[in-house]
Amino acid sequence: MGLSERSGRLCRTACFLAVAAASVSTLQAQTSDTSVAIIDRVPRVLVLYPYDERIAATTAAGEALRSRLLEATKGKIDLFSEFLDLSRFPEGEHVARMARYLGEKYAVRRPDVVVAVGRESASFIAANQGTIAPGAKIVAADFGTTTAEKIDLPDDVIAAFTTFDILKTAEMARSLQPHARHLYIVGGSSDFDRSWLTAARADLKQFSKSYATTTYLEDLTIDEFVERASRVPPDSIILALTVFKDRTGRNFIPRDAIGQIAATASAPVYGPYQTYIDHGVVGGNTVTFEALGRTVGNLVIDAIAGKPVSDLEAPQTYIADARQLQRWGLAEKDLPPGTIQMHKERSLWEEHWPILVAGSGLVLAQASIISVLLFERRRRRDAESRSRLHLLEAVHLNQSATAGALSSSIAHELNQPLSAIRNNAEAASVLLRSANPDHELIQQILLDIQEDDQRAGDIISRMRGMLKKRSEIDWQEFDLNDVTSSAIHIIHGEAERRGITLTSTQQPGELPVRADKVHVQQVILNLATNAMDAMLDAAPPGRALTFATGLANEYAELQVSDTGDGIPEERLIRIFEPFYTTKQAGTGLGLSIARAILETYGGSICAGNRPEGGAVFRVALPLAHREEQSR
Amino acid sequence: MKPVVHVVDDDKSYRTATARLLSAYGLRVETYESGDQFLARLSTCEPGCVLLDLQMPGQSGLQIQRRLCERAPLLPVVFLTGEGDIKASVEAMKAGAKDFLEKNSTTAALMEAIDRAFIQYERQQVEHDRLQAQRALVAGLSPREAEVFRLVIRGHLNKQIAYALGISERTVKVHRHQVMEKLGIRSAAEAVSIAANIGLINQDAAAPAG
Repeated sequence: MGLSERSGRLCRTACFLAVAAASVSTLQAQTSDTSVAIIDRVPRVLVLYPYDERIAATTAAGEALRSRLLEATKGKIDLFSEFLDLSRFPEGEHVARMARYLGEKYAVRRPDVVVAVGRESASFIAANQGTIAPGAKIVAADFGTTTAEKIDLPDDVIAAFTTFDILKTAEMARSLQPHARHLYIVGGSSDFDRSWLTAARADLKQFSKSYATTTYLEDLTIDEFVERASRVPPDSIILALTVFKDRTGRNFIPRDAIGQIAATASAPVYGPYQTYIDHGVVGGNTVTFEALGRTVGNLVIDAIAGKPVSDLEAPQTYIADARQLQRWGLAEKDLPPGTIQMHKERSLWEEHWPILVAGSGLVLAQASIISVLLFERRRRRDAESRSRLHLLEAVHLNQSATAGALSSSIAHELNQPLSAIRNNAEAASVLLRSANPDHELIQQILLDIQEDDQRAGDIISRMRGMLKKRSEIDWQEFDLNDVTSSAIHIIHGEAERRGITLTSTQQPGELPVRADKVHVQQVILNLATNAMDAMLDAAPPGRALTFATGLANEYAELQVSDTGDGIPEERLIRIFEPFYTTKQAGTGLGLSIARAILETYGGSICAGNRPEGGAVFRVALPLAHREEQSR
Repeated sequence: MKPVVHVVDDDKSYRTATARLLSAYGLRVETYESGDQFLARLSTCEPGCVLLDLQMPGQSGLQIQRRLCERAPLLPVVFLTGEGDIKASVEAMKAGAKDFLEKNSTTAALMEAIDRAFIQYERQQVEHDRLQAQRALVAGLSPREAEVFRLVIRGHLNKQIAYALGISERTVKVHRHQVMEKLGIRSAAEAVSIAANIGLINQDAAAPAG
């Protein structure tokens, strides 16, 4: 309790009272009527604080007063503050010196209204008004009606009172703990404590009837308080008044004493002071510093405006500590309406709802955009996979067409080893029938048969590789040189049949690329069959098909050139279009499929004419990066 | 002299296997990996036949056949191919190929083809020898006799021949008799037959008559 901390003896109530006393000297009050003559300037208000500036309670109240005044006058007001420090310097000399000093200080700027915060300030200004603020209105009051009456204030001093109602606190407790059966009231041994206890007994007389037991914990040492409180049944309500002194006469700041008791209490503790919050008390009915400040502010505004003012009681509010509600498992919904919850961890929503709304709106918008994009991406993926499937289908058709075109030469090629095997076998059997078989020759024949069988097998597996149908791309890393060689193997029979000379130069070392081997082979076959077709009209001795692999800027390259008539310039750009063909039997798909395949693997293809005649196709595929393989 | 089978095929294993097979059946076999090699090593006086692969790099089977006709026209050619190729077969037959055989034909078919080729060779050889003899006889005529012979085979009467050559009919009769004696024939019809065999008739028809 901010104030009572320093002035427990002076100010018996734990709360403080802001007194705004428009205490004009009797004489002047009469001559200048009730209104303050304020002409051609903003009103001046002097606020007197009884202690120093660091007392949180007075500061909070003063701050509320200040903002109320600034708000009501739209800033057109001169506010002065003085800290009297009367509890630390109660000596008459200090008081007289302070009065003299303030009188001189404010001689040129006489306050129109003096606000006295706390009873000490009220007494001080009442005694020294003539020196400091002659003609000003003063409001003085004290804490609680019980004590205010004891302060001897001039009649024209208007007061804002605070009263602390233990009954309302008790009702709050009952509302929170409807099933409680025991009632405990805690009070200390100082005069104030005792007067509180007496008042409480009267206030709670009716209330306590609904409880099985009602116990007043009084005349106890602090340890006894703590010990008793820790042993009360769980279905109890503990009401804490004030403990300024315990039975041994030891002085306390009530909030600390109550804090000690509440820390180990076995039932919830309630109290009628805001300062008890933070010291283990669930809550109570009280007047908050802010409410008090605002009430005083309203009085001052009325006084400035010249309105008739009279004593006013600061509004009471219920306060509760959310942490304690949680500690005791008390329901928030059972709180009296309008209860101010302190330390309630305001949910993010409460604190930042506009930002949250905007934020979640943004997130929502973003999410919907993202989902639209995802959906689009999925559609694109689907479309891509469909088109890839179509490509795979087209490639397969292309493979079949190539196989068909090469079938006779492949059959011929296959016939060689098969015929050789048969002749060898027959020869062996004839040899065996002879009188003196040449075993060595027969041995050699058998070896040759195995070799030819292997050869036939290779041809068939190449053929199968060429016809292999893909339902999806079989990614693999391979050497472009190898694939070129195997493609040459496949077409060499056909080339021979057509009297075409095949030559191949290869980049030394590996040309690693990543793609589907069968597809890349198909590209080479397409280019090769095209080239061979292009040379139909050329004179046989000059028919040459050349393959050259190489390396260029991170790309593996293959050039396929022929000695045909070349491609007319105007057709160069169109030859990769689907269904574009100049051949009578062509589908016009070979080159477009070749391009589609290469683009699938990040490569490219282009066509041109060689200066010495004939066309050249350049295929490029990105090099696959494996660990440095420089051979 | 035992006939030789010349096997010309670029595919080593087929070549070797075929050679082994034919050897096992007691034939003389020579193998060549290309037409050029074959033509270079060919000895024209030996009897035999050629098994020629139709599809080879370098000189194709048909080209070799053409060159062979000039060098050794009597040597029968049996073409071997992986698969029947109508265009190539027709060309080969036109060029005088005796037979056309798929490589995967049975051994019996192969042996038959070779036998046929040998028989043909012999037949051709006999015919060839006969022609050579007739050519030698014709070559043995004196210039005047040859002139008379050419006019006789064109059906000219003695009187016409005498006029054409500017000699007496009597002299013509003497020459004519000499020609008949030297060629071993009795009639003008036989003389025409010889002339046709050795190709004199067309030659003469083309040349302006005396």
